[in-house]
Amino acid sequence: MAPIFRWGFLGLILTLIYIPILVLVVNSFNASKYGIKWGGFTFKWYEKFWNNDGLMTAALNSLTVSIVAASVATVIGTLAAVALHRYQFKGKALLSSMVFVSMLTPEIVMAISLLIVFMALGIKLGFISLVIGHITFCLPFVIVAVYSRLKGFDMKMLEAARDLGASESSIFWKIILPLALPAVAAGWLLSFTLSLDDVIVSAFVTGPGYEILPLKVYSMVRVGVSPEVNAISTILLVVSLVLVVISQLLLREDK
Amino acid sequence: MKKWLALAAALLISGCSEKSETQAPAETTAATPAATEAPAPTGPQKVVIYNWTEYIPAAVLEQFTKETGIEVEYATYESNEAMYAKIKLMEGKGYDVAVPSTFYVEKMRKEGLIQPIKKDMLANYGNLDANMMNKPYDPNNDFSVPYLWGATSIAINNKDVDASKITKWADLWKPEYAGKLMIMDDVRDNFYVGLRVAGFQNNSTNEEEIKAAYEKLKTLWPSIKVINSDSPKTPLIQGNVSIGAIWNGEAYMAQQEMEDLQYIYPEEGAVLWVDSFVIPKGAANVENAHKFIDFMLRAESAKAAIEELGYAAPNTAGIALLDEALRNNKTVFPAAEDIAKGSFHQDLGDTVLVYEKYWELLKAGQ
Repeated sequence: MAPIFRWGFLGLILTLIYIPILVLVVNSFNASKYGIKWGGFTFKWYEKFWNNDGLMTAALNSLTVSIVAASVATVIGTLAAVALHRYQFKGKALLSSMVFVSMLTPEIVMAISLLIVFMALGIKLGFISLVIGHITFCLPFVIVAVYSRLKGFDMKMLEAARDLGASESSIFWKIILPLALPAVAAGWLLSFTLSLDDVIVSAFVTGPGYEILPLKVYSMVRVGVSPEVNAISTILLVVSLVLVVISQLLLREDK
Repeated sequence: MKKWLALAAALLISGCSEKSETQAPAETTAATPAATEAPAPTGPQKVVIYNWTEYIPAAVLEQFTKETGIEVEYATYESNEAMYAKIKLMEGKGYDVAVPSTFYVEKMRKEGLIQPIKKDMLANYGNLDANMMNKPYDPNNDFSVPYLWGATSIAINNKDVDASKITKWADLWKPEYAGKLMIMDDVRDNFYVGLRVAGFQNNSTNEEEIKAAYEKLKTLWPSIKVINSDSPKTPLIQGNVSIGAIWNGEAYMAQQEMEDLQYIYPEEGAVLWVDSFVIPKGAANVENAHKFIDFMLRAESAKAAIEELGYAAPNTAGIALLDEALRNNKTVFPAAEDIAKGSFHQDLGDTVLVYEKYWELLKAGQ
């Protein structure tokens, strides 16, 4: 009885999660414009997307920003987590609680404060401001992910390494980083996703010359979301799946 | 959800800056920055448009750049609230042309965020339809040039509903339509219907009247099956509902898929909206902005916009170029008396919160 229940429950959850995505993927090949009836198989939405310069640029811009922001946030976040875990310094408690505060700050507050800061500093709104904004809201998630992994460590390993004459940097590269790698990768993926679909912060901190995909898609409501969006979403889905698979493979080799 | 957040931001910002507004009347603040901040003529000329995605046909933009050599930078927003908040925060700088809807023109005009339009720079101004000009949100169109307009009115499925029995908003209350109705998630549109059926006018700031509209809408509530603003045509095409209060552009698109869809302009009048070109007060390329607006006023540009977007442009010369079938389509181009009966939402300041309160009560089923 129990296995049936367990598998049934699991199946139900997976169905609920994946059916909308499946419908979207199927509709991206649907010739009917409103996706209500099946109008035959077609690649025309992919073609239209390919020829739609505005959407193409926005999609590429989005990917660029997400990759850069996720990578920088992961580097800074990992170092911050290591610092918070290993060292005692003044203001440590304050710093670690500030991490949670910025995680819980409503996005709209962060968006407006970032815009005000950029305007005060005279930073031109565009790629740079967008990346800084995205790093800001990704950072706490990386810190928390990596920090909780580090907390599970046996500190004696690090002491043993030092006993055997390992320098601080080789402790970091040879012990801490390999052990924390799954959390670092998770932090990167989390940041990537957060950054890729962010609308609120992006709407405020980007400038006219730098359009990103989620903003463009949200802004389509005025004239109705076109089926090209199904095509883009399918492509993005494939890209993210590939990233997840790559990260899983990398982690497996490390074990 | 995101829309609400942006709205909250918009209210927050407008609250903070009320002081500065009272000190400086709109006209004077709007005129000065344009004069002092001369655009640098070095490098390629450009114009920065802040608009909804794909709300101007790509071919029209390309043609504009080809003819004038002015590059178009096209930025997008996802709600009027977000557009307003950003222009307000950036003090009107950064964008040369924005496209606010009806009462956001009024709000931005009152707060001195936009500058007067120099009509003598618009050679094609005469193409505009006088019926859609000089409306309460911008008397004399000193600050805005209408681009596209539309209505929220009643769409029905002819198969299920007898069109002759629906001539006014109040007909939606008839018991035989229970469970067949759809409305959009728009507080002002729905309260417009409530106010009119309860016997009042749109844009009421009297809490008693708003409450009466709320009581009226409450009796309609059990009949409503679907609330949909993202794609209100879909439930109608799918046959989930038979009557819906939807945008005429959506109805026009739905008519391409289902012949039985009929669009009715009720006796009390439909809700009308206009999206207009405005020039923010801190625009860097004011001359190019005028050139761009003038280009959009050309008959050919208006024709292209109507054909691609399914909404009407108030451009008499452009309408004359359209196919007869589209030109005579009463969904997109309602009769002049239906336009005259229609009502525009106005900026109500803080009274919006009263509407919001009762709207939340309705949605919570109380």
